[in-house]
Amino acid sequence: MSTTTLPPTKKDAPKSAPAATTSDRARSERKLGWLLAGPAFLVMLAVTAYPILQATYESLFSYRLTDPDNRSFVGLQNYGVILSDPLWWQSLWVTALITFVTVLVELVLGFALAMVMAKALSSIRPVVRAAILIPYAVITVVSAYAWQFAFDINTGFVNSWFAWIPGVGTDTDWFGDFGTSIFVICLAEIWKTTPFISLLLLAGLAQVPEVLQEAAKVDGATWWQRLWRVTLPNMKAAIMVALLFRTLDAFRIFDSIFVMTAGANGTESVSFLAYRQTISRLEIGLGSALSVLLFLSVVLIAAIFIKGFKVDLAQARGEG
Amino acid sequence: MSRREKTWWWVGGALIVVYCLFPIAWIVSLSLKAPSDLNTGGFLPSAVSWENYQLILTGGASDLFLPALRNSFGICLIATAISCLLAMFAAYAIARLDFPGKRLILSTALIVAIFPIISIVTPLFNLWRNIGLYDTWPGLIIPYLSLTLPISIWTMSAFFREIPWEMEQAAQVDGATTWQAFRKVIVPLATPGVFTTAIIAFFIAWNDFLYGISLTSTSAARPVPAAIGLFSGESQFVEPTGAIAAAAVIVTIPVVLLVLLFQRRIVAGLTNGAVKG
Amino acid sequence: MPNAPGRSGFRGPAPAPLRGRSRSRRRGVAGAAALLVTAGTLAACGGDSGGTPTLTWYFNPDNGGQVELARRCTEEADGRYRIETAILPRDASSQREQLVRRLAAKDASIDLMSLDPIYVPEFAQAGFLAPVPEDVAERVTEGVVQSAIDGATWDDELVAVPFWGNTQLLWYRKSVAEAAGLDMTKPVTWEQIVTAAQEQDVELGVQGIRAESLTVWFNSLIESAGGSVIEGNADDPENLELGLDSDAGRQAAEVMKMVAESGQAGAAFSTENESASAAEFEGERGGFMVNWPFIYAQAVSGVEGGTIDQAVLDDYGWTLWPSVLPNVPSAPPLGGIDLGIGAYSANVDFAYEAAECITTDENQAYYMINEGNPASSAAVFDAPDVVEKFPMADTIRQSLEQAAPRPQTAYYNEVSGGLQREYHPPASVQPGDTGPKAAELIAAVLRGEQLL
Repeated sequence: MSTTTLPPTKKDAPKSAPAATTSDRARSERKLGWLLAGPAFLVMLAVTAYPILQATYESLFSYRLTDPDNRSFVGLQNYGVILSDPLWWQSLWVTALITFVTVLVELVLGFALAMVMAKALSSIRPVVRAAILIPYAVITVVSAYAWQFAFDINTGFVNSWFAWIPGVGTDTDWFGDFGTSIFVICLAEIWKTTPFISLLLLAGLAQVPEVLQEAAKVDGATWWQRLWRVTLPNMKAAIMVALLFRTLDAFRIFDSIFVMTAGANGTESVSFLAYRQTISRLEIGLGSALSVLLFLSVVLIAAIFIKGFKVDLAQARGEG
Repeated sequence: MSRREKTWWWVGGALIVVYCLFPIAWIVSLSLKAPSDLNTGGFLPSAVSWENYQLILTGGASDLFLPALRNSFGICLIATAISCLLAMFAAYAIARLDFPGKRLILSTALIVAIFPIISIVTPLFNLWRNIGLYDTWPGLIIPYLSLTLPISIWTMSAFFREIPWEMEQAAQVDGATTWQAFRKVIVPLATPGVFTTAIIAFFIAWNDFLYGISLTSTSAARPVPAAIGLFSGESQFVEPTGAIAAAAVIVTIPVVLLVLLFQRRIVAGLTNGAVKG
Repeated sequence: MPNAPGRSGFRGPAPAPLRGRSRSRRRGVAGAAALLVTAGTLAACGGDSGGTPTLTWYFNPDNGGQVELARRCTEEADGRYRIETAILPRDASSQREQLVRRLAAKDASIDLMSLDPIYVPEFAQAGFLAPVPEDVAERVTEGVVQSAIDGATWDDELVAVPFWGNTQLLWYRKSVAEAAGLDMTKPVTWEQIVTAAQEQDVELGVQGIRAESLTVWFNSLIESAGGSVIEGNADDPENLELGLDSDAGRQAAEVMKMVAESGQAGAAFSTENESASAAEFEGERGGFMVNWPFIYAQAVSGVEGGTIDQAVLDDYGWTLWPSVLPNVPSAPPLGGIDLGIGAYSANVDFAYEAAECITTDENQAYYMINEGNPASSAAVFDAPDVVEKFPMADTIRQSLEQAAPRPQTAYYNEVSGGLQREYHPPASVQPGDTGPKAAELIAAVLRGEQLL
């Protein structure tokens, strides 16, 4: 698409120009291109590649900030400590669980939202659109507090409103054990990010050719059949992109856990674990090793998506 | 569409609105509760009280909140401005020029966008300490670029690709100078895209929490989300629930305003940058 | 909030002379970011930079008492120095985090800091505290309760200035104790109050949240049973000798389990902190509670504000923290705040002068009356206005004298974190099991072989 969207004048130009100028032109265009895009490129490298290299280096040391004299080279020992520690596996499992649950629910719910928005009457569409942007725009910390206070045994209204549900009562302590804590954390995450997914899916929905829908209708396909045979296959790219982005985003979960449980009852995520080693315990070596491991996990997830599910980001993003 | 069907879509729309606004309504309601009213278990305050707002705007928590508000605005606006400027050039090049490395730049932006933030925080924390950027504005602005720049590049290049650049040539043929053509034709066409990108980038910077708590330690640079987490109540052991709720409402106001004013553009920006077949 | 106007006068921009200087020095290093730094500096600084040295006091949140003391001592300094205040987060471990991070960066802007005694060893060991001059040490320990001096001491040297000393009491509703037939003039045991709470079906307020409060509780339990979390101290963390796998450790764990399973600890026991306990105790089902004296000051102001009945306050009773073993006096929790002077401060002498001013008996009495936080100087408890406001002043002093500090080690954060991980939630504690497991975990963490 990069070539098809280029202005026609540009494509016409080389035809009428002599060969020598073409390569000159190409060369100067290349130069200009890098001149313009270079700074942004360099900044992006500087704020990510440099830190991760630094972290890789520091992960090879035993280094505690309040005890700088005892800094020593330990090779891969930090990685050994982490990988043999049940805490790492527990937090990895928790992170994976939250990621899986939230992304799955968000996808289904987001799709429903997108359908409603696509069909919503033009009179209420602006209202719905504005409303749906609000969870997206609200700060994660604010959303986490809102949900925490709602479920809190003292300040919350959930216990008194939902006391009719078996297992819920005025003295249900939602943050008192693992299952209920995770439930509220997932709820907050789902609320906050479903709208974003639904917007991505809405855009995908708009790309399903209306002709196909009509044709299927004429052939007597039910609504359900049309959904499975026409709508979904045609928006596969959009779904996969939404899935990839949300998965990687959910995997980084930190804010909600920090606010709601601070990692109590085994609800610690991998980001939170890394944060506590570096920032609370000032164990730079261990923290760096965790950072590297986390980075590798994200790369792995992305690789699985791109290779395994054949998500062509470039194509999905209009770059093919 | 039948009348019945119409009603259902109405109901669906209404449900979505309730879903989206309910937690916000709750935090607003909570912020209007007096301390003695906090634990009654009701949704609405029994009497509207402005005490919590007083606490964070003029009272004991204002030392934490007001500087944080100023920091957040300053840092986020500067980070947004820098990333929009850089992205503008990059997006122009990507949309308009043919050069190798285009895909490299876009893929890099993608990788940066999914980078685990904590992996950046750890090394930066140590580096910033050593070069004196810890707990300063630039110490946050620079890492914020890792959040704002990738999305800016994606969104803006998607917008720029839709600009009919040939109009520039047409204007030049009509006798305008290059500068005139650029200013009179291209700038008006590109402005909405830049503006929308800026809003989205601002949202993302405004939302940051992890950089904020890790790379600051005083009111010199601490942004609002980090400050809210550190609030204290009226005394060291009193729960700061009311103050947190009031601060949460105040930091939500700017983003809600932006959403209400520019919802169309934001939706276009989000979907344009993300999915294009 | 009281003192609000006084505060705003103090709020001012960042301490200008010190910050300004260090920032501009660093500007060269920052290189590429020079432009940004300027923007940051302009916005963040820009206060007056008169000749008067400005001391910055990082303090823990309170009702404005420390800000008022800063004002008083600035006045007393008569233009030789000024004290500005910077507020820290609420809980002790976050306060430590903020301070340690800055001190590790050799931040010269930290002159005075309100330090929880539990972190004094770590700060001293890391060289973050300026040495206390001998004459100052002599003056600031005169007439001070011994446990408060111990808390400010590391390696046999005073490293910080004792400011106020906190301790927990056992609070009870007189009516409940009477109905249960408990003689509160004599020391009571945990078992007795748990039984009484069950009989009367009232709440027993204990802090079961996974936070420092849990360590506070556990430490006093094990100390009351005659043991210690750390039996043998050592400079090398790998040689710390832990006393968790012991009779005292098991007895402490048994009390935790008993409270957690009593059914009277409240529905949200595993997330209950000090203020939640206090709210419970004020309520209809309030019965017994272990908590710091601030709750009394809070209840008094609740009565003044009309949210608590006078009759409820009149029903408040207090005595020493409950014992674990019958006929063995308890070892109540010790808390409080010491004033540490930053090692990188440019005005160490002035800072010590200020610390002495802040901790005079007169100021400690003011602080106790206004904040409900007990003094560290024994004489203050006899001051008439203190006795009038705190009828339990004498009990507090006795409790302070009897109190046991939490483990003193430069690795306190690891020790406390390890305890919290294994002993939370309290209902999961297995008396024979949790102690050895916690000891193993803490040892492994200190050896760098496990995460925390």
